[in-house]
Amino acid sequence: MEIFGLLWDGIVQAAAPNILAGTFLGIIIGLLIGALPGLGPSAGVAIMLPVAVGFGGTAAIACLAGVYYGSMFGGAITSILLGIPGDAPSVMTVLDGYPMAQKGEAGRALGMSVFASFIGGLIGLIGLVVLSVPISRAALAFGPTEMTALMCFALSLVSVLGGRNVIKAFVALAIGFWLGMIGIDPIAGPARFTFGQMDLFEGLDFSVVAVGLFGLAAMFTTLTVSIDKRLASFSLRSLFPQIRDAISSRWELFSGSLVGFIVGVLPGVGATAATMLSYAVAKRFSRHPERFGTGIVEGIAAPEAANNSASYASMIPLFTLGIPGSATTAVMMGGLLMIGLQPGPLLFVNNPDFVWTVFGSFWVGNIALVFLTLLLTPALAAILFVPTALLYPMVLAVVAFGVYAIEYSTASIFIAVLAGVVGVVLTKLDYPAVPLILGLVLGPMLERNIRRTLIQSQGDVLIFVQHPIALTLFLLTIAALFIPVILKLLNKNKIPADEADI
Amino acid sequence: MMNMTRSALWSRSRAALAGAMCAGALLAAGPASAAYPDRDITMIIPFGVGGGSDVLARTIGNVISELKLIPVKILPENRPGGSGAVGYSAVAKQKGSPYTIATVSVSFFTTPLQGGSPVSYRDFTPLAAIAQSPYILVVPASSEYKTLDDLKKAKRLTTGTVGVVSDAALLARMTSKALGVQIDAIPFDGEGEVMSALLGGHVNIAYFNPSEVLPQIQAGTLRALAVSSSQRVPALKDVPTFTELGAPIVHTQIRGLVMPKDVPAEAVTYWEGVLKKVAESDAWKKQYVDRFHDVPQFLDSKAFGAAIVETSNRYETLMKELGIIK
Repeated sequence: MEIFGLLWDGIVQAAAPNILAGTFLGIIIGLLIGALPGLGPSAGVAIMLPVAVGFGGTAAIACLAGVYYGSMFGGAITSILLGIPGDAPSVMTVLDGYPMAQKGEAGRALGMSVFASFIGGLIGLIGLVVLSVPISRAALAFGPTEMTALMCFALSLVSVLGGRNVIKAFVALAIGFWLGMIGIDPIAGPARFTFGQMDLFEGLDFSVVAVGLFGLAAMFTTLTVSIDKRLASFSLRSLFPQIRDAISSRWELFSGSLVGFIVGVLPGVGATAATMLSYAVAKRFSRHPERFGTGIVEGIAAPEAANNSASYASMIPLFTLGIPGSATTAVMMGGLLMIGLQPGPLLFVNNPDFVWTVFGSFWVGNIALVFLTLLLTPALAAILFVPTALLYPMVLAVVAFGVYAIEYSTASIFIAVLAGVVGVVLTKLDYPAVPLILGLVLGPMLERNIRRTLIQSQGDVLIFVQHPIALTLFLLTIAALFIPVILKLLNKNKIPADEADI
Repeated sequence: MMNMTRSALWSRSRAALAGAMCAGALLAAGPASAAYPDRDITMIIPFGVGGGSDVLARTIGNVISELKLIPVKILPENRPGGSGAVGYSAVAKQKGSPYTIATVSVSFFTTPLQGGSPVSYRDFTPLAAIAQSPYILVVPASSEYKTLDDLKKAKRLTTGTVGVVSDAALLARMTSKALGVQIDAIPFDGEGEVMSALLGGHVNIAYFNPSEVLPQIQAGTLRALAVSSSQRVPALKDVPTFTELGAPIVHTQIRGLVMPKDVPAEAVTYWEGVLKKVAESDAWKKQYVDRFHDVPQFLDSKAFGAAIVETSNRYETLMKELGIIK
């Protein structure tokens, strides 16, 4: 295999001191930015851009990419320990990670996130190296019509995430859709629901809402309970990762990586949607779906594998076609231009050394991150020994800074606090917060692509069934929605006593 | 560390602003303008770090300090939010102060027209323009359309744009009128998505800045049909302009700088001089013009002001035609 020879040369090249230094700086900054609630990979890469460009050439891009995939490792830390998503792609990690930490299994949960990030990264990297050219061409087949179908399919899968009360889940989803519409109408032009506020003109920042809805809401809720309540018993063992978790959740790791990779390659979808889809897939095909969300390692494995896999996959269109598919890769493209390279279809042909060395640095970085984060895990998990009365004020200060730093805007802090209050109300009324978040991420993509498709077809809705890929996805959507219902009806006939699950 | 730098910048810029107000008062009070500028200049970038506007503004700042064209420092400060409204409002608020500067962008025109900003171009003083960025009309290499004339044969075309009101949308409208063919613009969320849609065959044509399409043209995946400037672009010598092909279309993105309204005339003259030197310098050519394949062209305050009014009117007409504003 010629590819592996090239890759090996790349890894050797990437071990050169300056590139190694760039990679390490990148991953450490990435870890920190990922762990800081609010700031995510796109902000991190943008902040590092002027610094990294100073390293010149390959080291610069190795550094920027390191920030990107490093943040995918870092995002899980606060999601698990505090229930505050460190960045948008780690929102789903809160669902099982935080309950595990509350049960006293923080180290185990963090360990799982490291394994998952590593495996997801590994599968993403193998895909990047072996499949990049054919898969980037295949991704181009996804136009607005296909994207609409894909979003419908995604929503049909994530319908399992709604919790027990279907009506309440749909209400939360609708609120999410509505929140996603705030800001300038991307297709027709006028501003919607901004009430003349300039800060709402660009819409709500997903990470700001997620930090409020999950993290701040969790902290606000604890105001109503006795603050000296001891957390569940800790053992020293609970601070350490357990390798057997990785083996027991191998299926979630694999499916998460695969979903992350496929979704990550598609332009404009992104790692956040990939984590939602992978979590839903893991839950749907699990033998014990009811345990998802209660604090199980499988619930961490799927989204954490997906976001790392997606971070590598989203670089494929950039390196092979010169197309930035996400905000983060757009900034990286700026980096390529600034170091004097022309990102485009000829990058592989004209600068093969550069590309393979950068890819090599990804392998070095991925492995370095595993050791780094595994070493840090016990120390991080010990944070939970800090009394709440001290911990929460510190965390609140960090959260306020992280949210402010996204756009240097105090309005973001206000929005986060408001989202926190909404989160408390939702919890008290037993409305699930997850569908709201899904609506906020997937809603705008669905809306935009429906409207783009209809401009393309001049209002003819038949276009949705005329495109084969779209048609297939719509059929899968119908199957995903109705097969469980049918199965449930059949099962009910067999076991009429089983009513506890409704 | 980054944050400390940032807060240091903040307090410095605060001090600069306070100083600027005093200086403004002095300037108004007497002929003390010989000392201008005696404080650091704050360059407000109304967008995030790493974007096109950020690179432009910082490059201009670098060139000015490299060539030592002014005796004080230029302090770049990113004030993103509200599609440019936050940053541009911050500039306009310093009415009369010649110590705050900003570059213009598409949002400089479109956000106020869309009702998203309390300030419009009327709240600024144009200083000078130093370059223009043309747009290239491209089709996929596999497309049946080989020339601009071929587009007339189409019953209907689709194009991708970034945002509803954008230069690409404007150019699509102009092309449609000039060729007499229906062109429907589909707004996407970024140049990358438009490129994907074009290469994937989901739209027929698209308009890009030269640096965005040159690699694709060189790789043979896209074909350039026409360029929107009044003269050909050096990097694409074989590509004719729209006017050469008989279509009356000239529209470029103007790279220029503005200050708040009512700054002293001496300050405007001063900056015209500085920016003329920037526009003619090798450093500017190397660091920006050659890299992004812009067309170097200097416009003084008056000509730039006229271009601003013309550009804003073009967008306004487009938005009226699209039914976005009345």
